[in-house]
Amino acid sequence: MSNSHNNESFWRKYIFSTDHKIIGIQYGITALLFLFIGFSLMMVMRWQLAYPDTAVPFVGGLVKWLADLNGFASDGNLPADLYNVFGAMHGTIMIFLGVVPLVVGAFGNYIVPLQIGAPDMAFPKLNMSSYWVYFVGGIIMLFSFFLPGGAANSGWTSYPPLADIATTGQTFWLIGMVFLITSSLLGSINIIVTIVQLRAEGMTWMRLPFFVWTQFVTSFLLVLAFPPLEAAGIFQLMDRVFGTSFFLPSGLVVGGQALQVSGGGSPLLWQHLFWFLAHPEVYVLILPGMGVVAEIIANNTRKPIWGYKSLVYSVVFLGFMSFVVWAHHMFLTGMGQAMSNFFQTTTMIISVPSVIILSCLMLSLWGGSIRLNTPMLFALGWIPMFGIGGLTGLPLGLSTPDIHLHDTYYVIGHFHYVVAPGTIFAIFAGIYYWFPKITGKMLNETLGKVHFYFSFIFMNGIFWPMLIQGLAGVSRRLADGGTSYAHAQDVLFWNEIMSYSAWLLAVAQIPFIYNLINSMLKERDEKPDANPWKATTVEWTDTTSPPMGHGNFEKAPVVHRGPYEYSVPGEASDFTPQTQS
Amino acid sequence: MSVKDMSHHIANYRNIFIYLLIGTALTVIASYMDFNVQDSIAGAIFVGLLIACIKGYLVAANFMHLNSEKKIIYWILLLTVFFLALLLFIPLLWDLNNMSNQINY
Amino acid sequence: MEIPYNVELREDTGLYNSKLGIWLFLASEIMLFGGLFSAYILLRTGAPVWPPIGADGHSVLHMLKETVPHATFNTIVLIGSSVTMVMAWVSLKQKELSKYKMYMGITIACACIFLIVKYFEYSHKIHEGFVPAHDTYMALYFTLTGLHGLHIIGGIIVLAYFWGPGFKMWGLEPERFTNRIEVVGLYWHFVDLVWIFLFPVLYLLN
Repeated sequence: MSNSHNNESFWRKYIFSTDHKIIGIQYGITALLFLFIGFSLMMVMRWQLAYPDTAVPFVGGLVKWLADLNGFASDGNLPADLYNVFGAMHGTIMIFLGVVPLVVGAFGNYIVPLQIGAPDMAFPKLNMSSYWVYFVGGIIMLFSFFLPGGAANSGWTSYPPLADIATTGQTFWLIGMVFLITSSLLGSINIIVTIVQLRAEGMTWMRLPFFVWTQFVTSFLLVLAFPPLEAAGIFQLMDRVFGTSFFLPSGLVVGGQALQVSGGGSPLLWQHLFWFLAHPEVYVLILPGMGVVAEIIANNTRKPIWGYKSLVYSVVFLGFMSFVVWAHHMFLTGMGQAMSNFFQTTTMIISVPSVIILSCLMLSLWGGSIRLNTPMLFALGWIPMFGIGGLTGLPLGLSTPDIHLHDTYYVIGHFHYVVAPGTIFAIFAGIYYWFPKITGKMLNETLGKVHFYFSFIFMNGIFWPMLIQGLAGVSRRLADGGTSYAHAQDVLFWNEIMSYSAWLLAVAQIPFIYNLINSMLKERDEKPDANPWKATTVEWTDTTSPPMGHGNFEKAPVVHRGPYEYSVPGEASDFTPQTQS
Repeated sequence: MSVKDMSHHIANYRNIFIYLLIGTALTVIASYMDFNVQDSIAGAIFVGLLIACIKGYLVAANFMHLNSEKKIIYWILLLTVFFLALLLFIPLLWDLNNMSNQINY
Repeated sequence: MEIPYNVELREDTGLYNSKLGIWLFLASEIMLFGGLFSAYILLRTGAPVWPPIGADGHSVLHMLKETVPHATFNTIVLIGSSVTMVMAWVSLKQKELSKYKMYMGITIACACIFLIVKYFEYSHKIHEGFVPAHDTYMALYFTLTGLHGLHIIGGIIVLAYFWGPGFKMWGLEPERFTNRIEVVGLYWHFVDLVWIFLFPVLYLLN
């Protein structure tokens, strides 16, 4: 059976592959491209925020062309209608087309089977389908930019009644989401079955690398939380295409005219169904990142992670709790006191496992033999950044301060700290860490350090002032950045600073992109070092770099010990592989 | 599996089919009866859903072999049903607790 | 290395892979229909009259009562198809191939009958002006039964595949094929289960 693989056509081997490693790379490349697109949208938005209603340099012609296509007036500037499109699509693309496919589709797919000693995912053909369904969903989303009226423009949150009556782009958003949700569901089912059923002999639950645990919990979140959003998406499609009133209340007046619909619907219904997904979704965004950081910290302190059991129990508890906090996004909708008390309490409780995880990772550094290579720098940088992200969430989770902070830039600063210098740093850490396994070549350390330090500085330059603006009361989603509001005047000067930080952050990615391409193109050594980081986990100790196709292992590995046996007393070397008896 | 084992299963499936038919008939008949307590339709809803739950249990336990399934499947379903209950009842409880209901204009 | 536990059971879980996979899929489907039912609950409790009266002054209540026999018939047909589905699996376990083909065929036929009755129900309602846009009950009715109907169509396609071209696998790997039929059967029973709840909720509790 294995001989036939050598005669596979280019199409079966690289395009319609069922090998989890190829699929992981496909997800990775596609997701990085989408991250770039989402980032570019934001860079144009930041021009408008820094210099409202002036022509965008370099790409002003492109902006005008798009605005014309959508039917908006522009002479190279970003008009308000297009600003709203960019805002909604920036969020959508970053979350659903960028980060999740990268942390789950790319890292999850590539690394999980290797770390548990499996020959592939449980359902390879389903895996391939999941990727292509994601791809189609992404194309639909991108295509919507070119419609009259532009792409979706009601925020990534698509609240009705606005989203119900928005331009055609919103319908394409909904259809795109159905594809993305389907891809996610199929992918997470695959990961769960793989972890449960295909662990190698001796790979007990409490010997799993923490990264695998985070992928396991994340996949459960995706399986159980996404379907209500799919239901909501179907309802919104019915409202838009068949004129139903799932979300349209009676007596709605639009532009002075009563809307000719049956009414009787509830805008709050959308919010419930949306946030039922979207809250667990944010844990989907961060959990795999925590896993990556844990792997890298253990490896670069040359000692076991502190509190493995606490980490595991915390991540499972966190996953469970994530389903019971969603209405903290809805504090200002007129909920009663009992509801408000309930959700504030659960939200405060959910901060506990996060703090435990962060504490375990910090305590892991104590007494460690710390190696400051690029993956470790990003992992270390992640810790305070996620810390700030988490801490700034606390006033938002209490309904009283939330009255002041809801829908302000404080919220944007909070969640960007968690996903941008949070998850994205974890993604970078993972790329630098696992690049040598995937390609058999190392990324350049100097370029990596330049990438890290400048990214760290500029990330803070963008998102810290958002907290300040938010505290001053500047609302989010304002195309003019707050210039028309008296209470915003004193903090408007931050807009220019944030925008320059954003553009300089873009420049800081150049060494990374160059590093990636150059390292991919350079010659591989005759016999690449399969374990350059001297790590203990199975993907490093029992596979070649890159791992052999279709099967990963010559013989099924047998696991004899835990995942982080570094500096074991009495051992000759400072790391003891999991598969060493 | 021996032929003997399966015939036991087959007899079971036939019986369950009959119970389900009876259940369906009961559901329809019950819908024509008056369970209204204090002008509320809650009684009828309770009876209707109760019969549906029983029928559902019969299908799940017997046709889907849930009464002899493995622990991990039970745990997954337990988790799912818990979150399902949240999804079904929190918005309802919300409505009952809604601020605007409590304001006396 | 081949992927293990496609047929043999993994010792600690007692499962083969696709059994776990289908139950996870069904868990997600429970949440999907849960979202739909939660919408029903919210919209119904917020409505002064149920089914609501539309702009044309009518409510679908009267017509609904008339269609109870059709829906009851459909319920029986679907439950019957669930029985024949599990009997198809039993036949494979007993290596009785012609019985498998028969039971599978009846299952598919029942599913088609269900859809045909549905078609007449839909067209009758639409003809009388009870379209999804008429009121929130009609919106829920068409969306819930429509999505359920899409699941039936999906099921028919898969069942037909395993009745026809997919049956080849029986010759090569009979146990793996039997497992596939068990797994497909689980999906089909779930579709029946959803209807067991939809029927009273939509047709009877008004």
